[in-house]
Amino acid sequence: MTRVVVPIGPQHPALKEPVNFRVIADGERIVELELNLSYSHRGIEKAAEQRDFIRALPLIERVCGICSHSHTTAFSKGIEEIMGVEVPPRAQYIRTIIAELERMHSHLLWLGVAAHEVGFNTLFMWTWRDREAIQDTLEEMTGNRVHYIMNEVGGVRLDLSPLQVEAALVRLPVLEERIRAYVEMVEAEETMLTRFRGVGCLSRDEALCFGAVGPTARASGVDYDVRRDDPYLAYAEIPWNVVTDTNGDVYGRTRVRIGELGESLAMVRYCLEHLPDGPIRVSVPKTAPPGEILSRYEAPRGELVHFIRTNGTDRVERIDIRTPTLANWTSVAHCLIGRPLADVPVIVAAIDPCLSCTSRITVSNRGEDAASGTPPRTGWEG
Amino acid sequence: MTEPVTLEMVAGAVEGVGGAERVRANRIRVRTTSDNVREAIQRVNRVLPCDRLISISTVDTADAIELHYHLIGQHRTIVTVTVELPRDKPEIQTVSDLLPPAGLYERQIHDLFGVVFRGHPGLTQLVLNDDWPPDEHPLRKDWKPDPRTFYGGVRQQEVG
Amino acid sequence: MTGPSPTLSRRLLNWARGKSPWVTIFNSGSCNACDIEILACLMPRFDVERFGILARGSPRHADILIVTGAVTRQQAPRLRRVWEQIPEPKYVIAMGACGAGGGVFQGLYHMEGSVERVVPVDVFVAGCPPRPDEIINAVVTCLGLMAEDAAHGGRAWRMGTAPVPGAEAST
Repeated sequence: MTRVVVPIGPQHPALKEPVNFRVIADGERIVELELNLSYSHRGIEKAAEQRDFIRALPLIERVCGICSHSHTTAFSKGIEEIMGVEVPPRAQYIRTIIAELERMHSHLLWLGVAAHEVGFNTLFMWTWRDREAIQDTLEEMTGNRVHYIMNEVGGVRLDLSPLQVEAALVRLPVLEERIRAYVEMVEAEETMLTRFRGVGCLSRDEALCFGAVGPTARASGVDYDVRRDDPYLAYAEIPWNVVTDTNGDVYGRTRVRIGELGESLAMVRYCLEHLPDGPIRVSVPKTAPPGEILSRYEAPRGELVHFIRTNGTDRVERIDIRTPTLANWTSVAHCLIGRPLADVPVIVAAIDPCLSCTSRITVSNRGEDAASGTPPRTGWEG
Repeated sequence: MTEPVTLEMVAGAVEGVGGAERVRANRIRVRTTSDNVREAIQRVNRVLPCDRLISISTVDTADAIELHYHLIGQHRTIVTVTVELPRDKPEIQTVSDLLPPAGLYERQIHDLFGVVFRGHPGLTQLVLNDDWPPDEHPLRKDWKPDPRTFYGGVRQQEVG
Repeated sequence: MTGPSPTLSRRLLNWARGKSPWVTIFNSGSCNACDIEILACLMPRFDVERFGILARGSPRHADILIVTGAVTRQQAPRLRRVWEQIPEPKYVIAMGACGAGGGVFQGLYHMEGSVERVVPVDVFVAGCPPRPDEIINAVVTCLGLMAEDAAHGGRAWRMGTAPVPGAEAST
């Protein structure tokens, strides 16, 4: 069979972000995969070295437009630990509320996108409509629907008034009911089951070996969750459960994310109802002593790592960001080899790729190239 | 979850190829050399055991380029294997055959810092844009964009 | 300066364009917040389809190009190529702080830094990211511009330049 090179992206309708795969296929089956994600590389780590902590925060927040709070929290708590400051409990709870609201809106977004990949557009509309309730809550609390810049080194920027707490609590029961409906839908809906079951299978050993993180790994029975393993914010104090699954395929990842939706909602409710009194920030020195920290955070997509080195000034010496999607790409490549071309959108979507987080990657797999001269198949374009 | 590993366990595992020190409550550093890094990582991976590579972090200090391989296991203790490479010739053996995720991290580090990972199956310039000059590594401390160099994008005379 | 009075077929075409603009979205290396807010416009809450706005993947059928991001060096040539593929009359909306001047990414080594350095822009939308209602407002503003330009026989009247070839081509 002739080998065909199919470039997918950056204008492919299935991907809303610029990414380029070169999929080298033998007939309908994928043989090799090459990734180039320089499309989103912006040079943030270098720029952060030239900004003080206050100015670095809006930049670091915009590594990603979905998990923005994840990045600012990972950064702030890293610097706070180097400085040796203790953030007040009220601030920790507020940070947790925003973090779990972010996880909810991210998972709902993903559920809609995943449904869209298999043609289930009604679910896309429903989940994004439900997302709006969360965006409204975030806007009331922080002033923005996205990019809340709620964190400061030392605490949070804004307090929550009793009215805001009340308004947020009032929205939760409806969301809870919708999430229950989604659980039933995923269990019963034929379209999704066929396209998701048995697709993108990753065994537990493979998930560990390829370094998968987050719901992608937990769906394969890998019991890692930074919130429990290395607790930060308020996670050690509030009751919650890690959600795992043993299916190991896209269906399993769907179940994990929907399960996490329910857990996050319960956490938000608990934190709103048990918000401790007290200050929302402590004053911190302008500069950070020389130090090093590996700050880990469980972002909606998985483990996010900020490795920070400070040098006694008001800026970082180095910030090395390893995002969860970067960690998950190796397992995507592995899942795709041998699969039919039609599976590419679903398997890629299943790791919930946040490509702006992952500014640059390549899979080390390379074959005989590509310069077979065969033109790309026009069926994939436009 | 299993019991956290102790400093003694780590020191014992890497005896002869590195020294261990506690950095934080749940993080232990192993200092080793570029010749011993593969052996050290294999020992940490098999003996402790640390079955997952979290990431490979890099720092360019004035004196050296540091590589930090962060590994973790069921015991939830992070073991960071640290190596220093000379700035003028930063080369080291790849560990992508031992730890598959390293394949991506090493390519990224190669593009941004110029570290050469010997034995890596495909260490070509793919991190930065296609027109980026191959010998310029932007995350090095002494790198500044040269106004006369074209780093990729559109040339202004094309836009018109 | 006024152009020749438009023929009936031209007026129908302009009316169809004014009522049903087809939009294509190009991500030039953004953090995705803008892209998600654009998608939110299509969702039931904001629902731009009531204006007849349709989002299409292919540039060859588009009237309006919405660009998100501050344009990475890798995306810049591709943005230029996509823009060139769009038939005249074409309009460009640059999203957010990134589109206007690079946003937080201005001056970073891998960025062009502004959509305007790559393609001419007709409408800028402020925000980081702009809210869906602000985005809809931008598209409606653009429709207004399109109608005015059509009535004047092209965009030359507001650009103060010679007419772009093809803008006044008969149908």
